[in-house]
Amino acid sequence: MTSTEPSRVVLFGAGATGARVARQLRSSTHVDCVEIRDPDTEAAARLIDSLGDGAERGVGRDIDSSVSAVVIASPAGTQTALARRAIHAGVPVITTSNKTAEVRRLLALDQEARFGSIPVIVGAGFMPGLTCLLAKHGARQFDEVEEIHVAKVGTGGPACARQHHRALSSRGVDWRDGRWTERSGGSGRELAWFPDPVGGRDCYRAGLPDALLLVPEFAGVQRVTARQAATRRDRLTSPLPMLWRPHPEGGIGAIRVELRGRVGLERRVDVFGAIERPAVGAGAMAAAVTLHVLSGRLPAGAYGLAGVDDTTALLHTLAARGVKPVRFEGMSTFV
Amino acid sequence: MGGGLLTLVRRALVAIGAGIAVAAAIRVRGSGGVPPQTGGWRELSGSDLD
Repeated sequence: MTSTEPSRVVLFGAGATGARVARQLRSSTHVDCVEIRDPDTEAAARLIDSLGDGAERGVGRDIDSSVSAVVIASPAGTQTALARRAIHAGVPVITTSNKTAEVRRLLALDQEARFGSIPVIVGAGFMPGLTCLLAKHGARQFDEVEEIHVAKVGTGGPACARQHHRALSSRGVDWRDGRWTERSGGSGRELAWFPDPVGGRDCYRAGLPDALLLVPEFAGVQRVTARQAATRRDRLTSPLPMLWRPHPEGGIGAIRVELRGRVGLERRVDVFGAIERPAVGAGAMAAAVTLHVLSGRLPAGAYGLAGVDDTTALLHTLAARGVKPVRFEGMSTFV
Repeated sequence: MGGGLLTLVRRALVAIGAGIAVAAAIRVRGSGGVPPQTGGWRELSGSDLD
């Protein structure tokens, strides 16, 4: 880290992911104060109490230019307005949305972010987030990446679980042969193998924003798809409102990133993954990105983590925060 | 005339019901897959992070 000025980070959202972001930032020596804002005053107060010194309660949506960075871990659908306020205040923004429409809106802030010379990181969570980072990191070993397929298992807090439920009945956005295609959520079953102990899970198309974040960063890529694991019950009940209140936090989750492409004359497949509780993984990822933003290592513009050039440094920072990605070894390449 | 119409409606309902049952079975059941026969997961380290 290069900055020695005291840094104050405003965090929107005191849910499962927000709490992890706050803890990670407080455990770092580079953030002096985390200001937590959440309409749920009890959740915010509990989190602040658990963090002790260096955490304080904030109210409202106003952001002033004295803030070093804004991390938005509020429910998907509420993040664009907050990001826009931060941009207007000239403050870098880290968002965690996994909602397709919102990710589109956040990416559309690119011109404003460049004009203000600030980074607006879109989807700095587990997926999207770590998936984008691993795709970019793995792509360095290819001469040409032709296909990227990402998948995830599990949910973080209740807001994430609701978004997961909605996504399964929403249209999936894929990139196929150089153009966008929309397919029904819950279709396209594919058995994907995640890091142990999660193992094989049936994954389906869903309203996931990953392709929107990946395609702009991989010139010439032919296919980009995103899927999420679902059970039979998930699929049957996906068109209905959630029948049960979601758990405070889901169990262990995993992500998987498959890259297909060319190295010299050889065609090759590389698979990366990570296993973690999704809220923990998302919190660590968002915190690692925040630290890089604070140190001025990320360029201006609105982009996902596939737009980060120094993937190695970010992966090191993430590993120091307890999330260590894995790679599948032993898979044969094909000609 | 009335009997013919009833039969037609009954057959249509049976056909629609059968279609729904088949679609539900295909949507829910899916088919199996083959796990990786070789290899395993390894933490990123060393040359992976150079």
